[in-house]
Amino acid sequence: MNVLKKLVSVLDEVRKPSRYIGNEYNSIHKKNSDVNLCLVFPDLYDIGMSHFGMAILYDVVNSSNFASCERSYLPWVDMQGAMLKNDIPLYSLESYKPLNEFDVVGFTLQYEMSYPNVLRALRLSNIPLHNSDRSESDPIVIAGGPCTVNFSPMEKFIDAFLIGDGEEAVLEMLETMRNGKREEKLKNLSKIEGVYVPKHSKRVSKRVVKEMPSAPRAQIVPYTNIIHDRGIVEILRGCTHGCRFCQAGMIYRPVRERSANEVYEISRDVARLTGHEEISLLSLSSADHTQIGDMTSQLKSLKEVSISIPSTRVDALSVEVANAVSGVRKSGITLAPEAGSQRLRDVINKGISENQIYEALEHAKNSGWSRVKLYFMLGLPTETDEDVMAIGEMLQKAKHMGFKNVSATLGIFIPKPHTPFQFAPQIGIEEAYRRYKLIGWAHKYAKINFTDPQKSVIEGVLSRGGNEVSQVIEMAEKRDLIFADWNEMFNPQEWFKIFDECEIKLKDVISEKDGNYEFPWEHVDVGISKGYFWMEYQRALKGILTPDCREKCTGCGVCPNFKVKNVLKGKRAPEIIPAGGEMI
Amino acid sequence: MKQAGKYLFRYKKYGLLRHLSHLETMKMIERLLRRTGLKFEQTQGFHQRMKLSFAQALPTGIIDLAGLFIASTFEVIDDPFVIKANSLSPNGLEIVRAEKVESSFKLSKALEGYEFKIVFLETPPLDLDGEVEEVNDIWVVRTFRPFNSSVPKNGEFGQFLTVRSKAILSEVQVD
Repeated sequence: MNVLKKLVSVLDEVRKPSRYIGNEYNSIHKKNSDVNLCLVFPDLYDIGMSHFGMAILYDVVNSSNFASCERSYLPWVDMQGAMLKNDIPLYSLESYKPLNEFDVVGFTLQYEMSYPNVLRALRLSNIPLHNSDRSESDPIVIAGGPCTVNFSPMEKFIDAFLIGDGEEAVLEMLETMRNGKREEKLKNLSKIEGVYVPKHSKRVSKRVVKEMPSAPRAQIVPYTNIIHDRGIVEILRGCTHGCRFCQAGMIYRPVRERSANEVYEISRDVARLTGHEEISLLSLSSADHTQIGDMTSQLKSLKEVSISIPSTRVDALSVEVANAVSGVRKSGITLAPEAGSQRLRDVINKGISENQIYEALEHAKNSGWSRVKLYFMLGLPTETDEDVMAIGEMLQKAKHMGFKNVSATLGIFIPKPHTPFQFAPQIGIEEAYRRYKLIGWAHKYAKINFTDPQKSVIEGVLSRGGNEVSQVIEMAEKRDLIFADWNEMFNPQEWFKIFDECEIKLKDVISEKDGNYEFPWEHVDVGISKGYFWMEYQRALKGILTPDCREKCTGCGVCPNFKVKNVLKGKRAPEIIPAGGEMI
Repeated sequence: MKQAGKYLFRYKKYGLLRHLSHLETMKMIERLLRRTGLKFEQTQGFHQRMKLSFAQALPTGIIDLAGLFIASTFEVIDDPFVIKANSLSPNGLEIVRAEKVESSFKLSKALEGYEFKIVFLETPPLDLDGEVEEVNDIWVVRTFRPFNSSVPKNGEFGQFLTVRSKAILSEVQVD
């Protein structure tokens, strides 16, 4: 079946129809494959097309000689209504084929608030929501992405989870699904490293690729103005600073760098093959790349594109890197001190001193940046009112340094699975507002954006919950609590009503846990033991810093457990402490 | 200083690409030209972009067989370039031809207006001006709209399809 004919009459009635037309330049229309996969980003096209993970897997699968890959995104509510009215199921943007006609449907779980969107996508595709209700004629529904490190809340809905890097595993998974009955396929899937099949698996260890894999160059060029409308080159994966709140820093270990030469070649090709005006260098912390100086100077010779780097750390080197790629147009620089006081920055292991922050700001100011945006978190473990006040003081100082515009984003800290802070409590809604009000006086120095603490509590439950949360997700989808990250669609009261009805005790979920507490994610092994996380949590409470493992191995266990090591292009990685060896 | 050659491009946009907005169309064309690797004149200022000037914007949903824009370059634009551009273009966008025009050429002066074809599956409303043609129960109303006047919107008259079929230019001064 092909929904194109029906689609034509519908597209005139919806907002931004270019999201739904597919057939973008560089999209691949592969016919006659043994097994076909439709990757679904469970959010609007504008967001999903900005996500690079899906672009990588699209390229990997379509480059294989046996499998094909297409894409789909969750349509906005007006389009969903029009599709239901005209009996159009959710379809792929390549062949306009309904999702339930694919062999495999794969979701990427990037953020917890998108869970109800996954169910809505299944519903629009006429695929049974529960894995137990699926039959031979239904696709196998798989999921990957960072949220799978605690897949329990989604276990009821997904047939197989892939934890960790997908480049190699996705082909192995598709290979097992070329032939055979559903049950046989699921059994075989459960034998693949990194894959968890709820029906057959007991434990799972994440999948790791040893080196940076090949990168997509002929990237799809969207028609719609998407969130990040530019070419992307991943320059390094993983981060070893060891910030204790950061899930990405823990679950994507070890660091794997791409050489400066390769980054140059890929950037050149991406520019030529897409026509993009801008290329963004993607990583968790670009200034850490051991060849970053070489890289930025090589990239300067690409005259036809501008290069951008999402800055995250706040040190002079990051500012230097931002300077190197920005050219003459220096509008805004984004830096992330995360906490206002030095005491609290030591608790979170940020590894940056007060002096370094002001040096970085001074350097940014002198280099011509007129606007600065600072990221902080509220409610970090051990945070006191003085720590909160220190955020205001930093904003005041930044303004007095002469920046034309200072803005700050205050997120609420959510203790994430597989981090040293998984044991820590999350502050409640009222407490979050109380602390926010403490720096009310700083509004005259900076524009302060405050994340809705209600959303943070919901996100906290979805990210830390177990199987019991699946009922909440199911009810949320039924009550139209989809696109929860979009302010106009967010309805916290309804969410809290559902938590009540499902007897989820919010206070219990977000309370502090001790070292013996059994988390729902214990059967997922990301390479770092619970003991290491507990030790790191204890060091945090004492304000003891742990070094970056590019300087000295801290014994987290990832490298010996997965027989990998940090791949640094510009220097030698330090000796690894063997498994079971003494941690730092 | 030598002045770059000015070219008038004619393009068609059809199929699903009729759903692109004017801004999306402009961006799509700029990226297509960038993929050809030919150096076009850029705008001045901090945020440099390709200097393209498009004729009248078209509402979303209309098939465009009469798209026009102007770009300048020091290089020669010939038929092989047009063939190359079309090989790098998404389905539904086609560069028809490019012709060199005098440096004083301005679309706003040369463009008199557009002919639209409004297609109906039933008898068209009487208040719609234009020549009516009927073949096999399909009615096509041909109507002229002067440059920068309002254009027929999709569905405005209960029509099935709207096509911008022809650009009426005063004689193009080919350089």
